[in-house]
Amino acid sequence: MEKYWNKEIECASREEMKKLQDERLVVQVKHVYENVKYYRDLMDEKGVKPEDIKGTEDLHKLPFLSKADLREAYPYGLLAKPLSDCVRIHSTSGTTGKRVVAFYTQNDVDMWEDCCARAITAAGGTNEDVVQVAYGYGLFTGGMGLHGGSHKVGCLTLPMSSGNTERQIQFMRDLNATILCCTPSYAAYLGETVRDMGLTPDDLNLKAGIFGAEPWTEEMRRSIEQSLGIKAYDIFGLTESSGPGVAFECSEQSGMHINEDNFIPEIIDPETGEVLPEGEVGELVFTSITKEAFPLLRYRTRDLCRLSRKKCSCGRTLIKMAKPMGRSDDMMIIRGVNVFPSQIETVLIEQGYSPNYLIEVDRVNNTDTLDINVEMNPDKFSDKVKDIQKEERALAGAMKDMLGINPKVHLVSPKSIARSEGKAVRVIDKRKLHD
Amino acid sequence: MSNVRQISVFVDNKPDQAAGAMRIIKESGINLRALSLADTADFGIIRLIANDTEKTVDILRAASYAVNVTEVLAISIPDSPGQLSRVLDVLGNDNVNVEYMYSFLGTSDRAVSFVIRVDDNAQASEALNRAGIIQLTENDIAEM
Repeated sequence: MEKYWNKEIECASREEMKKLQDERLVVQVKHVYENVKYYRDLMDEKGVKPEDIKGTEDLHKLPFLSKADLREAYPYGLLAKPLSDCVRIHSTSGTTGKRVVAFYTQNDVDMWEDCCARAITAAGGTNEDVVQVAYGYGLFTGGMGLHGGSHKVGCLTLPMSSGNTERQIQFMRDLNATILCCTPSYAAYLGETVRDMGLTPDDLNLKAGIFGAEPWTEEMRRSIEQSLGIKAYDIFGLTESSGPGVAFECSEQSGMHINEDNFIPEIIDPETGEVLPEGEVGELVFTSITKEAFPLLRYRTRDLCRLSRKKCSCGRTLIKMAKPMGRSDDMMIIRGVNVFPSQIETVLIEQGYSPNYLIEVDRVNNTDTLDINVEMNPDKFSDKVKDIQKEERALAGAMKDMLGINPKVHLVSPKSIARSEGKAVRVIDKRKLHD
Repeated sequence: MSNVRQISVFVDNKPDQAAGAMRIIKESGINLRALSLADTADFGIIRLIANDTEKTVDILRAASYAVNVTEVLAISIPDSPGQLSRVLDVLGNDNVNVEYMYSFLGTSDRAVSFVIRVDDNAQASEALNRAGIIQLTENDIAEM
């Protein structure tokens, strides 16, 4: 039977939810207008007053916020509460080189942990469970977010943080961890290490994993589920909105329920900014309607995905977002074709290779080149050079079918591509060096 | 049948890659009897015959190398002109396809040894027997 952390909210009727969102939005816009000069200026520039926003149908009138705004307003420009009311700071990982800091009041932390508690409950967690948190602890939101959610549910919490992989597995076994929380790439690495240590999923007590903070594919999900003997749940979030738990997956595993009592989602055309109808793919935009210290209105996430209100078998009525295809930042344009690392990952797993790969994009004689380093699968290794070259060509062919452009595939030694304990670095784009 | 087990190791075409594998073998006290390296622009394959196949495979796998074991033929022929050509004729006349071969040191200075990788070991072995060409067993090589 499906369990809920907050059934009243998670299974609310559309009318109840809209009413709640309308009320909260009106209050929030006023709060931001009065306390955040940066956003007040943007609203004034657009000629929008707080009284113009009477409910969610007026949301589109508000100006957008982008990552560029966050950098410009760094560090205090978007703060809506005095620092004396704030209790914590988190920061983005800076994978794209642009750090963002976010502030939390105690209420903000409670709301965020409540969202994580919903995710843990949806993954089958109760106070009988042992939750191993192998997300990094610190400025990164992953560790502290799931940690707090795990406490709320009453789970026995193992605050491992990331790294020290063999010790992770030792604790997992000795203390019977039942739920693992980490990035999907680290989960894959843990699965690989379990096998290398001569263990099987039967030696573990894990039943579920909650994995997020980077894009991953359905194929990778199945591969992690097999290697650890678990059901793997996706979780979505961003530091700008709070952290993991903005959206979470249920047993149906077909998209993530957005905690719309706290975050109102929109999908927009990334070029024009027009709001797109439900079901279309576009850029995901979030409006935080309950956050006090760092309340971002219409924040452009750069994540590309679609929303769906289709009835879910789990009984939740919260709107669902499809697994993002990747951040618009992750998308590479190679010879005029849009390429996502997740597409390459899909092909690799389909062809029986490990999802550890490194993409190198360069420009030679004004033509983009795409080189993909893939770790040799020891089961496919042959003593004959021609067999290996044939395998490389087969992989390149499958990539071309998926991407529409011809990459060069290089097989490299197993384990020679650096493993990540947090967010994986998959792409090196050398073209930027020439610009 | 006197097939010999050959170990192949996948290495990247980068400095120190082959040396790394050799270091591991040296440290474990294993003796190599034969070795060749095939290389391409991207990768290389070290092919070797060791005095302890299981142990060599285990330590290389433990160090995360991609390793495979294939059965090959090993022969010893007189060190005089035309001998190798004769071997290849024997195999060719029987339609045995030679994938690759390499020589290695034997104990006698009047004979040379070769590893031959063919597509059909049984057929090749029979052809060599008929022609009176000496085939070495894994034991023969280990004791060299």
